[in-house]
Amino acid sequence: MINTLKKRKKRSMKTKRLFGVTTTQIVLTALSIIWIIPLIYLFVQSFRAEPGAWSPTFFPKTWTLDNYKKLFTETKFLRWYGNTLLVSIISCIITTIFVLAVAYAFSRIRFKSRKPMMNIMLILGMFPGFMSMSAVYFLLKILLPNNYQSLASLIIVYSAGAALSYYIAKGFFDTVPKSLDEAARIDGASRFRTFYKIILPLSKSIIIYTILISFIAPWCDFIFVSFIMSGVPDTGMYTVALGMYNWLEREQIQAYFTTFCAAAVIVALPITILFMWLQKYYVEGVTGGAVKG
Amino acid sequence: MASLSLKHIFKVYNGDVKAVNDFSMDIKDHEFIVFVGPSGCGKSTTLRMIAGLEDITAGELKIDNEVVNDFEPKDRNIAMVFQNYALYPHMTVYENMAFSLRTAHVPNDLIYEKVTEAAKILGITEYLDRKPKALSGGQRQRVALGRALVRNPKVFLLDEPLSNLDAKLRTQMRTEILRLHERLKTTFIYVTHDQVEAMTMGTRIVVMKDGYIKQIDTPINLYKYPNNMFVAGFIGTPQMNFFDAVISKEKDIVTYHLECGTKITMDYTYTNKVPLKYMDNNKKVIFGIRPDDVRLKSNKYTNDGTWISLKAIVSVIEVLGGETIIYGNLNLNTIDSEAGQIIIKAEPDSLIKRGDIIDIELSLNKFHVFDKETEESIKKRIPINNIINCNIKNNNLIIENESLKLPKVLNVSDINNTEITIPVKSIMLGSGPLTAKVESIEQIEDKVLYYLKINDLILFAEEQMKKYKIGEVVKLNIDLSQVSIPEKDIYPINLENSLNGSFIKEKVNKKEYKFYIKIGDIKISPTNVICEKLFTCKGHKIFNTPLVYRFNTLDIVVTKNSNLCKLKGNIIEVYDYGNKIFSKVNIEDENIIIEYNGTINEEVMLDINLDKVTIIDKKIDIIIV
Repeated sequence: MINTLKKRKKRSMKTKRLFGVTTTQIVLTALSIIWIIPLIYLFVQSFRAEPGAWSPTFFPKTWTLDNYKKLFTETKFLRWYGNTLLVSIISCIITTIFVLAVAYAFSRIRFKSRKPMMNIMLILGMFPGFMSMSAVYFLLKILLPNNYQSLASLIIVYSAGAALSYYIAKGFFDTVPKSLDEAARIDGASRFRTFYKIILPLSKSIIIYTILISFIAPWCDFIFVSFIMSGVPDTGMYTVALGMYNWLEREQIQAYFTTFCAAAVIVALPITILFMWLQKYYVEGVTGGAVKG
Repeated sequence: MASLSLKHIFKVYNGDVKAVNDFSMDIKDHEFIVFVGPSGCGKSTTLRMIAGLEDITAGELKIDNEVVNDFEPKDRNIAMVFQNYALYPHMTVYENMAFSLRTAHVPNDLIYEKVTEAAKILGITEYLDRKPKALSGGQRQRVALGRALVRNPKVFLLDEPLSNLDAKLRTQMRTEILRLHERLKTTFIYVTHDQVEAMTMGTRIVVMKDGYIKQIDTPINLYKYPNNMFVAGFIGTPQMNFFDAVISKEKDIVTYHLECGTKITMDYTYTNKVPLKYMDNNKKVIFGIRPDDVRLKSNKYTNDGTWISLKAIVSVIEVLGGETIIYGNLNLNTIDSEAGQIIIKAEPDSLIKRGDIIDIELSLNKFHVFDKETEESIKKRIPINNIINCNIKNNNLIIENESLKLPKVLNVSDINNTEITIPVKSIMLGSGPLTAKVESIEQIEDKVLYYLKINDLILFAEEQMKKYKIGEVVKLNIDLSQVSIPEKDIYPINLENSLNGSFIKEKVNKKEYKFYIKIGDIKISPTNVICEKLFTCKGHKIFNTPLVYRFNTLDIVVTKNSNLCKLKGNIIEVYDYGNKIFSKVNIEDENIIIEYNGTINEEVMLDINLDKVTIIDKKIDIIIV
């Protein structure tokens, strides 16, 4: 009697689990299809031969590489691409250094204003960056009076406030045992040497996470570029986001839509490669920080 | 190779949480000191303060006679082994051990030499190119030791290094650490919460609880002569048996009435160190005896009279193989109650079962007695006070038949059979109006304790050197300034003077300040050392902190030179003790005692030895200077 009861219970648990797994799978599949459709559309449209912005079919009737050819020969895309890469790499380096240094300091050093500062930075970080746009504009005018509509301005804008997003890295550093720092201190290492020789090598995942995040932000940003570069006649100063946006304006969209798609594919390329290569660390970085965040 | 000196070390967190309280200790070269206590007792904090990982709130830490309070850890010449080993996970064993040397820019070949030598000592040569992850717990511990070893430190600090290992490995590493200590001949300070580790390893043990030192002594002395119930219960397994009791005395027979109903009767000589005031059949005490000092009655032993027989009922038997532990109860009617429970260590082959009534014997030489309220031992090796009953007649103190003339200041009316307290230290042998016979002599560490007999009364006296023999008749005197007669409100003269005050600054000119000790309206220029210590401890909060200035009577002298005068006051009372005369001086509504023969209302100028002054933060009660 008891045995059969137990068996029934066991079976019902099995079916329950199976049901749960199946539902999850179905929902996830549906979601991923919804997510991936626009990407596929963008990708296939970049090979469309027919002109115009609107296509009656999902897949093009004739396939061509002309859009890419046009992109590299007839437009300033390469120049914009270079600009964006330059801005992104430099601000990525600066941002990573800022974030790691601030996070380490908050994680390890106890000073009076530590808690209030952490809270203030956290709250400031919650406001969207573009709220400060006009202030940033005037600040840049003061900082670089002759040259405020330049790539240097962009680098400053992207990296100056970077430290605000210290939180995940701090959470990660908190999980590295403090006794390592203390052991290094007794071994005679300075704070910098401890950070550089002991903590950084142990924090690969969070470094990579920080690099990725701080590369993607300027790479994808549109708002600040459009604001800072507004009214610049020289389109050679643009970044990809701004340049490509111009192709979507009413007068241009008919001629440039397929080129736009091709450009979008090229823009997505480095990030996709980076993510695929480093995704292991990325996940580790996010969750590693989350444990004790 | 170094000696350490810790003087009044305090650690205060967040302004008022005291983690370590007045930790004072001298550690000699080549000692193996163990800090032991339950978690949260401040032992690790103390160790970390010695290491320099925590700031010292107040107090002075010296390593080799050099004050190192403000030194970085690396400059203190110490090495530390952490509980979780704290090995650098991304470095090989070799690199782990070489890290400190690389930081100090030691040439590579010397690093190689030192690391391989340390590895050889610890037997980890074949693991040198492995990462810590690929090592077992014991091997990691060895690497951690090796990392400390290569630095040739003067002091080794070990913070619960074995607590992450399993039991077998722990015993093995214990002997290995001891061997290392023998080999290196340096000072070791070892923190643990495990009393077995403490007992087996330490040359001296510091037992701590709630931030206070409970006792510092050798393992065997801690075991034999615990100063309080905490130490008695903490050291030794199974734990000491404790029984609530009251004591009564009838002539020479003393009886301990245990709360469970059992009476333990013995001759007064076995318990003569317990002050008489406890033998009133009323004051609550705790009777303690170790399981090792209780034995099963058997014809194997002959009772030489120092063992007393009792009966107990057996409740639980634990057979450990080498020995058997019997949990019994002295109250034969309640087998499982807490009150009369007694633990006995017995021979392994005893055929006893639950419910049996057994005959046991307690050693009368080895029991302990504690005050129930203070939990302090009242059967100290060297008693602090002689508490005796005597008469006062015609200004003479009559102790048995001997009489001692009381000075004017102790002028009291006649009184019969009153309790008086004479500190052991204030009995001076050699000359004086009293005579006594040396009944017995006990050598305790570097001191000699005399049992002096005046008729039937035993007085204890303490000397540094053995001068008299048993049976010898000695003359003795009593320092009456330290005697108290509670019935007549006479208490010892306080040799510690305290004055309330503060610390202030005054602007001299735009940039310069002058600092003063302020007592009432009087300002005294402090020494630089005092200023420095006050500032390092409290920072600028010092100017708002109420302070107590404490100094010994001997550090104040009356001066005629007005340049030396630091305090001024009027004498309001004079105490003439015959051999010593003290005056009470009123300074700004506070009174201090000085050793001076003055007249009432005389104005005196006082010079204070500021090097000896103690300054206390009144609010949180810590000694700053």
